[in-house]
Amino acid sequence: MRKAVAILLLGIFGYYFASIFLSLPFGEKREGVGKHYLENTISETGSVNTVTSIVVSYRGFDTLGEVTVLFLASTGLGAILFDVRRKKRNEQNASPIVRTTSTVFYPMIILLGAYVFVHGHLTPGGGFQGGAIIATGVLLMFMAYRKFEANHTLLSVIESLAGLTFVTVGLTGLIYGGSFLVNFLPLGTPNDLVSAGVIPIIYIAVGFKVGAELTVVLDDMLKTIR
Amino acid sequence: MEFSPVHYIAVPLFAAFLIPLVGKVSKELVKLIPGLVLLYLSYGSIMLFPKGMENPIIEIIAGFKPPFGIALYYGATAAFLVTLVTLLGFVIWLYSYKFIIREPIEKYYMLFMLLITGATGIMLTGDIFNLFVFLEITAIASYSLTAFLRDKDSAEAAFKYLLIGSFSSAFFLLTVMILYTYTGTLNLADLASKADMIPANAKGFALLLVIVGMGIEAEIFPLNGWAPDAYSQAPSPIGAVFAGIVVKAAVYAFIRIIFLFFKTPEVLHFIVIIGLITLIIAEMAALRQHQIKRMLAFSSLGQMGLVILALGIGTTESTSAALFQMFNHAVIKAMLFFAAGYLVFHSGSKLIDSVTGLGYDKPITSFFFSLGALAIIGLPPFSGFWSKLNVLISIASEGEILIIVLILAASVVEAVYYLRIIGKLYTRKEIDSNPRRTPISGLLAMGILAIVIIVIGIYPDVLTQWLQPAAENLLNSEEYIQTGLF
Repeated sequence: MRKAVAILLLGIFGYYFASIFLSLPFGEKREGVGKHYLENTISETGSVNTVTSIVVSYRGFDTLGEVTVLFLASTGLGAILFDVRRKKRNEQNASPIVRTTSTVFYPMIILLGAYVFVHGHLTPGGGFQGGAIIATGVLLMFMAYRKFEANHTLLSVIESLAGLTFVTVGLTGLIYGGSFLVNFLPLGTPNDLVSAGVIPIIYIAVGFKVGAELTVVLDDMLKTIR
Repeated sequence: MEFSPVHYIAVPLFAAFLIPLVGKVSKELVKLIPGLVLLYLSYGSIMLFPKGMENPIIEIIAGFKPPFGIALYYGATAAFLVTLVTLLGFVIWLYSYKFIIREPIEKYYMLFMLLITGATGIMLTGDIFNLFVFLEITAIASYSLTAFLRDKDSAEAAFKYLLIGSFSSAFFLLTVMILYTYTGTLNLADLASKADMIPANAKGFALLLVIVGMGIEAEIFPLNGWAPDAYSQAPSPIGAVFAGIVVKAAVYAFIRIIFLFFKTPEVLHFIVIIGLITLIIAEMAALRQHQIKRMLAFSSLGQMGLVILALGIGTTESTSAALFQMFNHAVIKAMLFFAAGYLVFHSGSKLIDSVTGLGYDKPITSFFFSLGALAIIGLPPFSGFWSKLNVLISIASEGEILIIVLILAASVVEAVYYLRIIGKLYTRKEIDSNPRRTPISGLLAMGILAIVIIVIGIYPDVLTQWLQPAAENLLNSEEYIQTGLF
């Protein structure tokens, strides 16, 4: 009986939910702030990638928040797993094929990750994506080699320094530009690697931070799996 | 660099990122950093408070005018609540200083700092998506801190909180999506001015999602099942943060959104009813508890039910009474959690029965607990008396006699279970005196709060003069829209 009522209520909610969300005029009209962003990105931020300009410039404060969310997740995980007895990851190394390929791919994946976050203001991608790519490279090495260890001290230093860079850029903007996170560097020529003011600095910091944090999370999780 | 609202967020974030580096050098310094940051923010709050009370301060982030960029809105309500949060945060840090002896201390202080930052951000932001980000920060820090003691119960409480909290975040994000798609803006003031562009059925659904999503964080019945577990399993100073800071931020955000977008008589009536139900059920549940901190948690739900009820009445008097009650609840419940933390520590058991006779063995801690208990019941000459009286007067002027009767009935229940503990504390019983003492920092933290409770109780005007502008700011959506948009 209770189940029947629950299913019925869920059905009514689902129907209502679907009817509202299917009728949302999403992307149909370009009005409001979206229109402004599309038209003024290059002149206001110097970034040719509109998504990046929104993420790092117009709504950079949210990005600082999201970076903090990831930082919290990795810190919280570290706190909860603090005294769990660490285990050896897998019992034996992967096959020679996996090992050889990993050794070849590992530097290339790191390079790709770095490329993605350095070019965040020019091409699709950015700090979060680049950082995630780097972490996948490390994951590959974790799976291939038993002895491959992540240096937690180094990673936590990178994590902290990257976070401090982000906030320092923001505070510098507050001191010299009168507004937190405001761009205080010349915008440069659009499409140049060194352009768009503080965006590349922030995205490089985010890339390092996300890469380091996801690596720590992967390492923590892999060592506590039964 | 003059103190401005963004310091509330930037400085603690900087400190949280700095703590791991400092931890490599000195463990003692790690403990001091949050205190220094909160001291600086408290100083800034006192400087900024009179300005915010006069005129709302809008701080633009990243140099883009709203609605294109994000802006912080430091109006009278935010000024009142943020000042409360930073000052209380400092006292909670003082208490944590000797209370938290379990590793990883470094991570505790990082999470603690970010939890307070998240709650402050919720109160300060003028942008609905930014509000979502700060809700996430607050929620994730809360989950981790709930599980900080790493035993079976705290893991269960944290997991429960995590599951329900994820619903809250998802529902709120869907609300943001509906509002953004129809209006093309995320700034709260701009959104409120364009609320007519949203069709009625979408708006109704958004209201449902807000009530469920924000209701979970604001702990309204029946969405507050996670709260007693989280409050009682988290370390005691974190229980004080939940009751004193986090729930205040959530209730503020909930009411701000309701007042800006959905302020119709029916919705306000509904809020009064859920507030009343939350109050009554929580007080009845508190009466049945055997664990001291669980009882405090249910009592906290009841108090917040009273606050939500008073906010739902929607007059200036009731809103300022609600803010007064929020202030008192933050201060008094923090003190009760502080004292309960050491009562549990000294007696070695979480049960109410085991405090019997502690009043003679640990007189100071027991005295503070009793003082807090009498204050929260609403006995004169403590501050809790005035806020409860103001709430009742404001409801009486609306002529809702039935609500008054029910609130008084709930207060009687509340008095029963608090007086029961005081009675137990001062029942003579032969117990082995244990040599552990409450440390000075803990006593100092409780002493500061006790002084606040007594001073506000004797001179309520010190505080009540600020309540009027804060309440008007919360109620007056027109002013919010005008000041928020330049």
